[in-house]
Amino acid sequence: MYKHQNSRSSGSFSWVFQRVTGLILVVVMIGHYILMHYTPESGHTYDAVLARMQSNWYRVLDLTFIVLGMYHGLNGIWGIFRDYKLKQWQTITIMGILIIFGLAFTLWGIKTVLDIPYVQTSTSELLVK
Amino acid sequence: MAEFKKFDQKSWVKTNLNYKKDSGSWAWILHRITGIALIAYLFMHIFSLSPLSQGRAAFNEFMSHYTTPFFMALEWFLFAFVLFHSLNGVRIVLVDWADGAKYHKSLYRYSIVIGVVMFFAMGYVMFSHEIHKLFR
Repeated sequence: MYKHQNSRSSGSFSWVFQRVTGLILVVVMIGHYILMHYTPESGHTYDAVLARMQSNWYRVLDLTFIVLGMYHGLNGIWGIFRDYKLKQWQTITIMGILIIFGLAFTLWGIKTVLDIPYVQTSTSELLVK
Repeated sequence: MAEFKKFDQKSWVKTNLNYKKDSGSWAWILHRITGIALIAYLFMHIFSLSPLSQGRAAFNEFMSHYTTPFFMALEWFLFAFVLFHSLNGVRIVLVDWADGAKYHKSLYRYSIVIGVVMFFAMGYVMFSHEIHKLFR
């Protein structure tokens, strides 16, 4: 009866991890949102981003955000689908779409962050590129 | 013994719209809607920041669309979605791990109050320049 469901894993790991990533995201979110979205002074120009990204802490913050946010979000979408009775081919298709899009956009985001050049000199002066 | 009503797949939407909903049901529905909206936003966010790798001119050109008052207002409402999802998420964690089933209804009420206060506080932070210009 249940042979089409993945009965080996109870899903308890993803359940716990969903809560843990959620709590981490709330903390990371506070920093990300206040600094980058909602302060009129923080600036959305290329130079503002470039200046911020000279610090590796900002890069690590953004990378954490992309990876954890993507996992938490797509696992949430998967959780919604799991509320309904799915046939095996539907499970495989939905899983495939989520994994492919998730991986593609995660890698795209990581590439965008890592592509930002380091232009700071030893005198901590920002060079105009 | 009460007889169970047979589940009718055709009236699924109607059943879902009609049953009596307490705060928990609303929290569940809104948590789903805000969650779907937020993951859609994350995809859009990664897409819209990708011109960063094309240099200064391309990025500034792209970003000039997003700093208009209309998009700032949209961002403010995005914060409402984030707020609900985070506050209700904390509530879910408390229900799961801290015996929250005993007090989840008052938790819901408190988180709504906190959320509304934070929403307007954030509105003040976001539009502080405009507000100060208004009352100068």
